[in-house]
Amino acid sequence: MRTREQVLKDLQTRFKDDIVDLLDKSPKRVYMEIKPEAIVRIGSYIFKDLEARFNIASGVDARSHIEILYHFSLEYINLLISLRVKLDREKPSIDSLANSFKAVNWVEREMSELLGIEFKGHPEMKRLLLPEEWPEGVYPLRADYEEWDKNAIRDRGV
Amino acid sequence: MSFAVNALLKSPWVFHLSTGSCNNCDIEILDCLTPRYDIERFGMLLVGSIKHADVLLVTGSCNRKSAGRLKTLYEQAPQPCVVVAIGECSLSRGLFIHSYNCPVPLDKIIPVSVYIPGCPPKPEAIIGGVVKLIQKVKGT
Repeated sequence: MRTREQVLKDLQTRFKDDIVDLLDKSPKRVYMEIKPEAIVRIGSYIFKDLEARFNIASGVDARSHIEILYHFSLEYINLLISLRVKLDREKPSIDSLANSFKAVNWVEREMSELLGIEFKGHPEMKRLLLPEEWPEGVYPLRADYEEWDKNAIRDRGV
Repeated sequence: MSFAVNALLKSPWVFHLSTGSCNNCDIEILDCLTPRYDIERFGMLLVGSIKHADVLLVTGSCNRKSAGRLKTLYEQAPQPCVVVAIGECSLSRGLFIHSYNCPVPLDKIIPVSVYIPGCPPKPEAIIGGVVKLIQKVKGT
């Protein structure tokens, strides 16, 4: 059975050119900032070879950049690895992980419509949550989102 | 008051629709059916289809997708059908008034007869609201 130190050392030696920063936050939590072009290599290695469980991915508009966190849990050593990817805010674009494992399919579709991140090579990129009449190119979870619907009522009527 | 309305008021059957609520109002509606409150003793029955219902209970702040489905349900309801808005979200959208996905309140989509405020309203408040509705329709 692999230990926590062996897993982290293995990752650091195997992907030493792709890892930008490694933050050892607590015994249960490691944040690993990686280069965006290495996400398919590292993500599928952690999922397939290290036999991690893919929990969820979360997208954040941090105003200076857009970042995605892919959370993987390694239950045999009780460790949560979060892969952090920083993307350019003007044109955020990254390779899709959906061809490596299926669980990431819907969350990438959700991040694509709510934050406007382009996932290259995604097998079925279409809307998941937003309605049909929602305009193209308007992303509601961006920090600079503005109301586009002229018929919306934003007072309580009293 | 017509004969049909008089007959329906003896035993109003209710249909419950959640248009994107946090499920807390829905739990309070289900509490009304438990032996402690037991609204079935007033003849009210929770039915599984809008086509059997006389009263439509709506919870939740209508979002863009559920507004269309709400309209469809209201059109399918046998007339006369009265609408009861339960909870702060369906009254004025509550916390979600500035949400990108909740553009208009419920009473701008379909006509609403009774408003029951609260987050969530107590089962007593829901029963009281429906009783007031019956009195209002009867005209007493």
